[in-house]
Amino acid sequence: MKSSNWITIIAAIIIGIGIGLTYGWVINPVVYTDVTPDALRADYRADYVLMVAEAYQGEQDSETAARRIAMIGSESPDLIVTSSLDYAIANNFSQNEILLLQGLLTAMQTYQPQPVNAP
Amino acid sequence: MRSSNRNIILYIVLALLTGLGLGLAYSWLLSPVTYVDANPAMLRTDFKDQYRIVVAASYASSHDLARARARLQLLGDVDPVGQLSALAQNMVAGNASLEQVQPIAQLATDLQQGFSSSPITDTPFVVVVNTPTEIDTPSAETFATETQTILEEDTPIPTLAFDQTPLAPVVTSTFAPRPTFTAIPASGVLFSLVGQDTVCDPGLQPGLLQFIIMDSRRRQVAGIEIIVSWTEKEDRFFTGFKPELGDGYADFVMQPDVIYSVRVVEGGAIVPNILAPTCTDPNGVIYTGGLLLTFQQP
Repeated sequence: MKSSNWITIIAAIIIGIGIGLTYGWVINPVVYTDVTPDALRADYRADYVLMVAEAYQGEQDSETAARRIAMIGSESPDLIVTSSLDYAIANNFSQNEILLLQGLLTAMQTYQPQPVNAP
Repeated sequence: MRSSNRNIILYIVLALLTGLGLGLAYSWLLSPVTYVDANPAMLRTDFKDQYRIVVAASYASSHDLARARARLQLLGDVDPVGQLSALAQNMVAGNASLEQVQPIAQLATDLQQGFSSSPITDTPFVVVVNTPTEIDTPSAETFATETQTILEEDTPIPTLAFDQTPLAPVVTSTFAPRPTFTAIPASGVLFSLVGQDTVCDPGLQPGLLQFIIMDSRRRQVAGIEIIVSWTEKEDRFFTGFKPELGDGYADFVMQPDVIYSVRVVEGGAIVPNILAPTCTDPNGVIYTGGLLLTFQQP
């Protein structure tokens, strides 16, 4: 085979790769419909933690709050609340919302998970 | 010559297909688009349910219906009330406690009626009065623009927080009675049986025991617990989980030839000897009918 033919074939492969990448990344990318909460955008995470804080204000149940927070990340609950509190302060959340988050943070910093008894 | 050209074209096509396959494999398998900034609508179904539970728990504390609605909209539900009702029913079926189910049923009811039915907050620390700011974009940034006033616990002002709906008045710091307000019954006031009707409808589920619970003004009441007992078993459920049939509606399926007793927990007396009736259709075929029990506060 002539060298010009090889060049043509290699060019065709490169063009094919380009078309494949364009189709796979732009035209029809992988669609995520069942994502886990740890992939939530920062503002949604902060709002979720704020919801937990609002609920905690009424319920005063640290265990339930910790379980709800654990849904959005594998870090410890107090770290997640700290991160959300930082976001809230940086994004001008209201004073009451910041107070709620601070209350939840205090609860999570002092929360001790109940040991699970082996059967 | 012609054969040589044909081969070249074939090679080019094969090369293009190979390249296409490599490109797709890389973009779909090796390095797919990754979502790090997902929104709640993308969550898996079980996480969406957990999200709804937290929205309802938050609403039970804040009574901010506009915010709860905006948060539920983030999930992209076509019918948020229906989703909440289905979740509540699933939780009841899974033996969830009243404390877990009640906020969800309450939020579903309030979304249905368009205003908060429990506007007086009972939170022990701070009381929040929201200014009537319409929330269109349910993002945290928008939430942060709300103007809020914090009152200390010992401030003896009854506090109301309303959704901005045609039925609801503007926020005020004084208690104002509203004629459209509310379907929550006075605690301790008995519900008594005011109607027991046989329902012979072949289109309904056989043995369907339907309940309508109303207050003294004949408005249907959500969140009322009903206990149905039979032969050392019992089932507990609440009105309001099927808001499309009425806030005070609930139902239960009776087995033929089993005698049930019914009690509306809100101070109600036991109604004994409830039995699925037998009905006859126009062709003379006998089938199991249903009952409609209507309870009302005096």
